[in-house]
Amino acid sequence: MKKKGMDNVIMGMLVFVASESIFFLLLVLAYVNFHKVTGAQAATLLEPVKTGIFSIALFASSFTIWLAEKAHEKQAIAQFKMWLFSTIALGTIFIAGQAEEYYRLIMDKITIDRDLFGTTFFTLTGFHGLHVIIGLLMLTLILGLSLWGRKHEPSEVGLQSVAIYWHFVDAVWVVVFSVVYLWRYVA
Amino acid sequence: MDITNAEITNVFNFATTQAKAIVDLAYIHIGICLLFLVTVVGLTAYAVLKFRHREGDPEPEQHEGNLKLEIIWTVIPTLIFAYLGVLTGLVMYQVNPPVRSRQPDLIVTGHQFWWEYKYPKTGLVTANEFFIPVNADLLFEIRGADVIHSFWVPCFGQKMDGIPGHPNKLFLKPIKKGIFLGQCAEYCGDQHGLMRIIANVVEPKDFEKWQQSQLKVPAAPNDEAAKHGQELFMSRTCVQCHAIAGTAATARVAPDLTHLADRKSIGAGVIANNLENLSQWIKDPQKFKPGCYMPKMMLTEREAHDIAYYLENLK
Amino acid sequence: MTDSLHHHKVSNWLAEVPEYQGLWSWITSIDHKQIGIMYILSGIFFFVIAVGLGLTMKLQLCVPMNHMLTQSTYNQIFTMHGTTMVFLVGMPLIFGTGVYLTPLMIGARDMAFPRLNAFGFWVFLFGAIFLYFSFLGGGAPSGGWFSYVPLTSKAYSSGTGIDYWALSLFVTGIGSVATGVNLIVTILGLRAPGMTLQRVPLFVWMMLFTAILTVLALPALNAVIVMLEFDRFMSTHFFETASGGSALLYQNYFWFFGHSEVYILILPAFGWVTETIPVFSRKALYGAGFVSASTVAIGFLSFGVWIHHMFTTGLSFAVLYIFSLSSLIIAVPTGIKVWTWIATMWGGTIKLTTSMLYSIAFIIQFTIGGLGGITFAVIPLDWQLTDSYFVVAHLHYVLVGGFLFAFISGVYYWYPKVTGRMLSETLGKIHFWIMVVGFNGTFFVMHFLGLYGMPRRVWTYPHGMPVLASLNMISCIFAFVLAASILIFAFNLVYSFLKGKIAGDNPWEAWTLEWATTSPPHPENFERLPPVHSRRPLWDLTHDVGENGSESGDMKAGEQKA
Repeated sequence: MKKKGMDNVIMGMLVFVASESIFFLLLVLAYVNFHKVTGAQAATLLEPVKTGIFSIALFASSFTIWLAEKAHEKQAIAQFKMWLFSTIALGTIFIAGQAEEYYRLIMDKITIDRDLFGTTFFTLTGFHGLHVIIGLLMLTLILGLSLWGRKHEPSEVGLQSVAIYWHFVDAVWVVVFSVVYLWRYVA
Repeated sequence: MDITNAEITNVFNFATTQAKAIVDLAYIHIGICLLFLVTVVGLTAYAVLKFRHREGDPEPEQHEGNLKLEIIWTVIPTLIFAYLGVLTGLVMYQVNPPVRSRQPDLIVTGHQFWWEYKYPKTGLVTANEFFIPVNADLLFEIRGADVIHSFWVPCFGQKMDGIPGHPNKLFLKPIKKGIFLGQCAEYCGDQHGLMRIIANVVEPKDFEKWQQSQLKVPAAPNDEAAKHGQELFMSRTCVQCHAIAGTAATARVAPDLTHLADRKSIGAGVIANNLENLSQWIKDPQKFKPGCYMPKMMLTEREAHDIAYYLENLK
Repeated sequence: MTDSLHHHKVSNWLAEVPEYQGLWSWITSIDHKQIGIMYILSGIFFFVIAVGLGLTMKLQLCVPMNHMLTQSTYNQIFTMHGTTMVFLVGMPLIFGTGVYLTPLMIGARDMAFPRLNAFGFWVFLFGAIFLYFSFLGGGAPSGGWFSYVPLTSKAYSSGTGIDYWALSLFVTGIGSVATGVNLIVTILGLRAPGMTLQRVPLFVWMMLFTAILTVLALPALNAVIVMLEFDRFMSTHFFETASGGSALLYQNYFWFFGHSEVYILILPAFGWVTETIPVFSRKALYGAGFVSASTVAIGFLSFGVWIHHMFTTGLSFAVLYIFSLSSLIIAVPTGIKVWTWIATMWGGTIKLTTSMLYSIAFIIQFTIGGLGGITFAVIPLDWQLTDSYFVVAHLHYVLVGGFLFAFISGVYYWYPKVTGRMLSETLGKIHFWIMVVGFNGTFFVMHFLGLYGMPRRVWTYPHGMPVLASLNMISCIFAFVLAASILIFAFNLVYSFLKGKIAGDNPWEAWTLEWATTSPPHPENFERLPPVHSRRPLWDLTHDVGENGSESGDMKAGEQKA
């Protein structure tokens, strides 16, 4: 991870991601700690298939951003913009799915303060969603810069570090999705 | 206060087998610490004196390490700490063996800012002061009613936290009779500093006598002042928090007052228990223990006095 | 670093460096030296405030049943004293010296991310001021510096004090992580050619691990603060026992952060004395390899001991025992450093400058504090002594007798480099001796207060316990002696800034790269860097060394270059 010759900005982003991982780890562990109490509700109230489909959008966006990086390396700017746009679109679809799920739960009076399930579920998925939104903002910024013109093009390193962040956000969702939505199939 | 004849509060003044085990371990530990300290101080002092810079000193030889020495000074402390580790495990097990399914003899519940003591075998409930028989192998259960408290009587040995939702166990076998003092040892709010523990270790037969007297339901008051005091007690807000056996007062929010008259102190060790003090306390507890949850009652001198009289005469 | 620089007008006094004139140049600065100085000045400012709070506590406790302060005021004061010292004094002092010295010691022009550096500082300062605003905003927090639930839940702390605590620490925590990231990337990415990781000065090595611990531990604090504030504001149930929440979860998360935090504080302190002791003994650091390795060990182990703050919470035998062992083991790498410092002095020619006196006092006092720490690792002893004044004695021995003394040693050592002027050695020795007496008098007796049953965080104690009264009075008197020594130190800092002797580039004949430039360093740090073949580039310049520098075995004394 910390090899000589690595660009400083990339290194900085990797260290930052390591730091945020600890934050998410503790939120996940809190969820796990209370699972005896919350597991039954998670099993009845959540819809893993539906959320799974939205999750696939998020996972696919990791693939599209990788394609965007490849295109940028090869200076295939039109392709780069297209893949970048796809990444943002897929990420937005994921957020839309999250929003719909939150709406459905809240309408059913499952709120963050109702009980331990609400507490742990909304905190964990909420912070993840927040990180996705921040990622989407950064991606949009990159896209905006690349659309602005020659003099404002995003740098290779800038793109790569945002990509690292985006992959991180995805990886966190792999864990959160498994622990929150898929646990019922294991126990 | 009557507690002036209490035992000196000091971790070396052991009064239980558990405290003694800890003291024995402490002596070994102190020896090891002194060994380390004397070595460090001695070597440092020697180095400073012997190798102090003097005018004209040449540049010293630049020794940068000696693997053998460095290994020695890593391994020897490791072995010493390993030894401490073994002793730790042994004494831990001795002081705190597994509880299995044994039921507690005394349930201690920490409240803001007083102690509730319940003897499950007899159903006796009292507050702020308790009695236990000497030479008995006792199991305490420590609870927290509101926030985290910690039950610590240094002469008895270890402290144990009272955590809401997470009752803890504490083994104690008293081997000395006397009055032993302690305090809450986990910051629990405004009056954490005045949440004292008064423990009385007595002969088993004296313990039985005490328990019986505490279980006795007091007779109804028969003189004017006491009757008036009871009337006030029942009609004013006292009954909302305090219980007195044999009456309609059954609330457990605040200390049980059935046998308040027998206790040495008021307010968990704040002031000595006598009629005058109790009247003053009732009139304005915030004067003595500001921040405790007993409000100033808006009583006249007479009213406070009569309530105190009633309580002090419950037998 | 051989880019050709304009020739700067070099000043030998910080107050006259052209680039640092005017308040605006400081507010908008992204120069690591200015930011470092601002961090350190902030740390000193909050230190003075926190000492004031401490003295107030001592006065309240000097006699039994004292009503000088109400219990409510005392509880706010001790909370703010602890919170300030850890977060608003300890952290800025380590980051201040870290960002000031690291680029200089590795031969870089600045930190890897100068703007992020400024961000880290200003965010810290904002958080610090926000915490103190609580006094005006309805009351300072009074939950203790670690704010345990359920006491700090809304039910038992309905005011806003706790929220100020939580939010200000959340904010300063963000600054800390930013600076941690910056330090890691700087140390890994910006070293001068020839400076491998094995050749960085030990202070830099310690800062690397301090930064790693920071970025991994602060998120735990942020997580627990988020959960606490959610419980308080949104009625979530993380810590609410009645709804299935867990008070112990708070303690686990807090101490996962908290224990690493104290190593974050002490590693730079080890770094400061590890730089000064060799220079003032005129001898290379003994066993540098073991010192480096022990730092790594401490880094790892610091994440594996946190339960030792919870030994009386009723956890299982197995859990308790494992953490007792890990807490005992962590003493080994820490102890290695003590032996190393002594061995470095051994056979040297020791110059007892003020800086060296502080480092020597550090060794002894830190050892006492460390042995107190070992006492807590021995669980049955912890069961008696935790939450008593014995802990207060321990923590002040390692943080004041350790951290503060090491910091002052570093100040006497690097003040000439930072300002261009020497601190007065006469004043230094005077305040050193007064501080040693004051410090030990104040805190050594606290071991006995704990043994005699005085718990922590009590606003008063009863009559009729004679030992408590007399020891508290003694401690109070010596606290004022300690405070007096701090005043003399402050005077020295100011007086010497104005009238101190001009220092020159390398007044101590030290060996690391920061001494290879002017004092103060000009804004771009170096005009030319000496070649780096070892941990002591400047020593190599004046001695006959092979290609591998002074790493090729013991150097004979007096082998000077012609």
